[in-house]
Amino acid sequence: MNGVHDMGGMHGMGPIQPEKNEPVFHAPWEGRLFALRRAAGAWRKWNIDTTRHEVELVPPAEYLRLSYFARQFVAFLETLVKSGLVTSTEIETGTPAAGRPKLNPPLTAEKAAELVAKGVPASRDVKVAARFQTGQRVRARNMHPVGHTRLPRYVRGKTGVVHRDHGVFVFPDTNAHFLGEKPQHVYSVRFAARELWGQQAAPLDSVYVDMWDDYLDAA
Amino acid sequence: MIDPRGVLREFGLQLPETVEVRVWDSTAELRYLVLPERPAGSEKLSEEELAALVTRDSMVGVGNAIPPGQEARS
Repeated sequence: MNGVHDMGGMHGMGPIQPEKNEPVFHAPWEGRLFALRRAAGAWRKWNIDTTRHEVELVPPAEYLRLSYFARQFVAFLETLVKSGLVTSTEIETGTPAAGRPKLNPPLTAEKAAELVAKGVPASRDVKVAARFQTGQRVRARNMHPVGHTRLPRYVRGKTGVVHRDHGVFVFPDTNAHFLGEKPQHVYSVRFAARELWGQQAAPLDSVYVDMWDDYLDAA
Repeated sequence: MIDPRGVLREFGLQLPETVEVRVWDSTAELRYLVLPERPAGSEKLSEEELAALVTRDSMVGVGNAIPPGQEARS
């Protein structure tokens, strides 16, 4: 979706404010949320692309006001309710509804460290033909899906060159909406900075974007 | 994205025009490891001494490693 999250190339957000000795979490609740999201995610009622799309659905004014973890929290509550794991009344009251069965969490404390360290791979070991070769000129499709996409607005319609083929990965645009993994090749595509931003960009500079097969046409 | 040199300046890194800037937008489930450029005069340093020159900013691509002999100032 063409949401406020897709900020590449936007002006007026103010300067970067680098933080010396930045901690992993700025408050204990952020760490608890990080843990909760992984523990609840282990039910496999949703996937990483679902959770990312849910963050994109946070209303724009609220999205800009909230911190990274505060956005995640708002989106997490939505995800819990939509999945049926928890009802909105249960969230408001903080207690399970009468008669709700107690479930055994699939993620235990013993397994947690390994899960966080290893992550959950999105690569797939399946044979899918690559539509493009390294060195080939490609154009990013000019498309504006209302659902989740990882195709930044700033590359749409722009021409670049396939720098390398990363292999086969889950396609977020369908996976986010439970429409299947649709595994396909992901390429690193090099776009000249001037192709994206015009003559104001430095002549030598470039931007490399990870692009799925379904985002590209031959140019 | 649109002004990587400006962002680097905000991190305190001024790059000459002759240096090529490549921005990597991590849009997929792929993460990139930044290798900081080896500072001049570090050729004879041990692994431990080299590690002392590496900063968080140099590992995320927004700063240089510390020149040898200036570790204390970081």
